[in-house]
Amino acid sequence: MARILVVDDAAFMRKVLSDALTTGGHEIVGEAANGNEAVTRFQQFHPDLTTLDITMPEADGLHALREILASDPAAKVIMCSALGAEDKVLEAIRLGAKDFIVKPFQAERVLDAVSKVLA
Amino acid sequence: MSTEEALVTLGETTADAALGVLASLCPEGVEKGNVGVVQPGASPLQSLAYPAIATDVAYTDGVSGGNVFTMTRLGVRRLAAAMMGAELPSEDSDTELDEMETSALGEAMNQMMAAGAAALTKALGYPVDISVPTTRVLQSESDAEGAYPQSPHATRVSFTVLGESCRLIQLVPNAFVVRMGRALDNEITEQDDRGGEHNADPGLSSKLRRTHVRVAAELGRAQVRLKRLAAPLPGEVIELNRTAHDPIDLCVNGQRFATGELLLIDPNDWAVRIDHVLDVNPADYLTPIGGT
Repeated sequence: MARILVVDDAAFMRKVLSDALTTGGHEIVGEAANGNEAVTRFQQFHPDLTTLDITMPEADGLHALREILASDPAAKVIMCSALGAEDKVLEAIRLGAKDFIVKPFQAERVLDAVSKVLA
Repeated sequence: MSTEEALVTLGETTADAALGVLASLCPEGVEKGNVGVVQPGASPLQSLAYPAIATDVAYTDGVSGGNVFTMTRLGVRRLAAAMMGAELPSEDSDTELDEMETSALGEAMNQMMAAGAAALTKALGYPVDISVPTTRVLQSESDAEGAYPQSPHATRVSFTVLGESCRLIQLVPNAFVVRMGRALDNEITEQDDRGGEHNADPGLSSKLRRTHVRVAAELGRAQVRLKRLAAPLPGEVIELNRTAHDPIDLCVNGQRFATGELLLIDPNDWAVRIDHVLDVNPADYLTPIGGT
């Protein structure tokens, strides 16, 4: 079981991700709706893993990823984004994200990615 | 390639991508209609059923335009229920949409338009990026008017999602029309090169059709004494014989063949929209002025 921070600007997507992860036995320690909030929540909760959307208002997921990894280079982050942001996904992997999930997704895909990253 | 053909292809590219996402969110509950080009001056939001729930996503990186997806309130409730694996409501209730229903629509639009942007990036050979979605309720025709910025071109396509009518409107930037026209022209050239035929101009042989010519856009002319050009001073201004609103000339080998409107696209690239084509035999373009 892992303590997970879920970051997405859509409340609906936070719920879908949280439900899938909770069903898989994980604990949701916090949620954030933009990149700035994600960094604050990360430093507040020190989660085992963070799921991070890319396209968000105020500060996007790439900004949050840089800040999170700057404060904790060992942070485990999975990008979770809609199709069409391949260059940003590649940039995220280059920056240090562990995996990425393309929306729309099945719950099993999320749980598989989390298991692999935590292994 | 005509502007209308480029617009229809752009509309189809985005609509097919949106269809793929909608079909994965609510399998067997989606049908797509034909893409139509909205005539200049007409509103793409005309004759909607009100209240309409409208979600828009803008193109970013300096390109104006975007997409608007409209649904009935019952349509949104059904889409949200399908996305959450819940039972579909059979009829609408008088209550406003709750946060989760509105957010589900925004997320569906985000995924549809991200897929559309990916398809356009591939088709145009040019990175297309999108903003986060914004959702609003349009209560009447007057609400819809002025809700979105004017766009030089627009397409619309109807969908039926879980039994409810929806509409996808693409507010198309000039840059996309120019690039799509170029991409389609290249496609035709490749077909020609593979031995295919098209009916662009029966007066030209296929060999001539593959000939590349340099097109010049002429803004205007000026007549000055030679002595002024013998020692021109930096900063000196030469007035042209055209105003900013006059059409410009398009020429091949000095031969004027069309007039058009100068456009700024992308946002720093010049382009020309052809307004009027002169009656010139294309073969004449190959004879330079003053040549034999």
